Amino acid sequence: MAPVFGATFSPFTMKKQLIISALALVSVVFGCKKDETEQGPSYEFRKPENFPEPTYTFDNNPVTEAGFKLGKKLFFDPILSVDNTVSCNNCHNQSLAFADLPLHAFSKGVMDRQGTRNAPQLVNLAFMKEFFWDGGVTHLDFVPLTAIESEVEMDEEIENVISKLNNHADYPALFKAAFGTDEINTPLMLHALSQFTNLMVSNNAPYDKYLRGETALSEQELEGQRLFEQKCQSCHSGILFTDESYRNNGIDSVFTDIGRARITAFDGDIGKFRVPSLRNVGITRPYMHNAKFATLEEVLDHYSDGIIESPSLDPSLKNGIPMTAEEKAAIIAFLKTLTDKEFTQDERFFKG
Amino acid sequence: MKKILVLTTVLCSIALLSSCKKDEEKATFGTLALEFDNKIGDQELTLADATSTDFKYTNSHNQNFNVSLLGYYITNVKLEGPNGEVFVDPVTTGSAAADVKGIYQVLESDVNSQVITLSNVPSGKYDKVTFTLGIPADIVQEGATGGVLDPAEGAWLWNWDAGYIGFAFEGRSPASPVVATQWNPENSVQIHIGGWKDITDNPMMVNNVKTFTLEFGTSVNVGEKLEPNAHIVMDLLEVIDGHHGSADFTTTNQVHTPAGGTEFAENLHAAFVVDHVHQ
Repeated sequence: MAPVFGATFSPFTMKKQLIISALALVSVVFGCKKDETEQGPSYEFRKPENFPEPTYTFDNNPVTEAGFKLGKKLFFDPILSVDNTVSCNNCHNQSLAFADLPLHAFSKGVMDRQGTRNAPQLVNLAFMKEFFWDGGVTHLDFVPLTAIESEVEMDEEIENVISKLNNHADYPALFKAAFGTDEINTPLMLHALSQFTNLMVSNNAPYDKYLRGETALSEQELEGQRLFEQKCQSCHSGILFTDESYRNNGIDSVFTDIGRARITAFDGDIGKFRVPSLRNVGITRPYMHNAKFATLEEVLDHYSDGIIESPSLDPSLKNGIPMTAEEKAAIIAFLKTLTDKEFTQDERFFKG
Repeated sequence: MKKILVLTTVLCSIALLSSCKKDEEKATFGTLALEFDNKIGDQELTLADATSTDFKYTNSHNQNFNVSLLGYYITNVKLEGPNGEVFVDPVTTGSAAADVKGIYQVLESDVNSQVITLSNVPSGKYDKVTFTLGIPADIVQEGATGGVLDPAEGAWLWNWDAGYIGFAFEGRSPASPVVATQWNPENSVQIHIGGWKDITDNPMMVNNVKTFTLEFGTSVNVGEKLEPNAHIVMDLLEVIDGHHGSADFTTTNQVHTPAGGTEFAENLHAAFVVDHVHQ
């Protein structure tokens, strides 16, 4: 459905109403069936109740089973890279919440080229306003282009990717099934990948179950939660555990990678990087954009005793964050309640 | 919000127009063509091969140069007339090229792209055109789009600071010290004006998308069986060597960031002039 900006006489509203009635009908039908037959996995995007509204433009690209499965095939297919050796999955591994192996502090691209920033996890992307450590990308659809065209990642031209897909034995039929079109083009390929990544919703960690009253947290985890609220939550806020701001958290005083300033061209942003979500942080080591810390213990030691002064240092970190060893252990215990095994073991994402 | 405002305005004007006209006559429509003619000062512009050493043009720094690529995106086109006539060219996005409407990439290398024919324009008099140069936030934020915005089809998309280049000039000048690389020929000059963000409260976030109005200097009649056009001249020298910024190719020869293009974006309005209209 094409969004309309200017003058419109299109049957847009009518179409929407039709869709709504159709959906209502479908839900009635499903309502009857629910208890009778075992349903397969759902490929519908569902916003968890306590999550913010998604930022993704689902009106343009609703998730369907065929689109999701096509996106999955693309995600696992090295055809996206120049020499057909590197897939998205190479650096975004489901068992690690779609982060890279700890072995690869900086990920390996084609011809063993090394990246320059720590590959992030892929979690709750449908709710994020900006992407990458510098926030340069503002729409999920455009995220894969950066990896495809990066010299140190896939180093491929988008024209070649589209041409390889159009000449492939399987893809034309899969795109036809997902989108009803005969020709594969860039927006359709990106839409398929977005359908796959939009369903990467992590909201079944022990913490979530605790919030829903389905499970209890230990004394130490609860103490960790209290300390987290006091000492960490001003930046790692909300149910996504990030305020999506850009901050210099004192890990350097000389910045070979200027971070957010690359996008804003503002000197005051030199050395600032995106505050990452802490969901699944227990399984996404190493930490920070430059992979400076190997463990959560090192991260908390940094915040308590290792802050490095520089002009753009976040004011809240000037004096570090005082924490005792016992408090750090409790915070780490709490952070580990954000590890969502249902997500990392969700069969919908398996290569198949 | 803007969409709603535009829509309300359009609907209100439709309501007004139709209530006046209802009993008098059936509304009719016609076309108006906008023809873009790129020049360099008062010289005609001819594209050179990317490696050509024939430097026909000269800037105010007395530096010779040539042009191998030139183009720009135009969208949100609006016509207005002296009697309250308003026509807004509808803008739509989508995956298929056919779904992308009201967004135009004018290329010096493609004669067909230099004529934008507006259709379904209500009959009447028009004396000015307003358009946006560059691809603004509301279109970028719809996500991946086809047609002239598909990077595999030649769209100018920056991936690292995702958005479209609104105005692109490439050529060569002996004054440019650039050495040959896999991306650039020797003496390369590339000025790409992009950047569309004012989505945060950061005052430094650069938005180089410009909207401006050009007066026809007269009015043209749009109606059935009429084929009026407005001939718009774009002077490249006004963009790269203009009032708000002038590129000395010895130092300013590779502009590939929003901030780098700001002064040239400020020059854009002055570069476009309606030279004449044909009834």
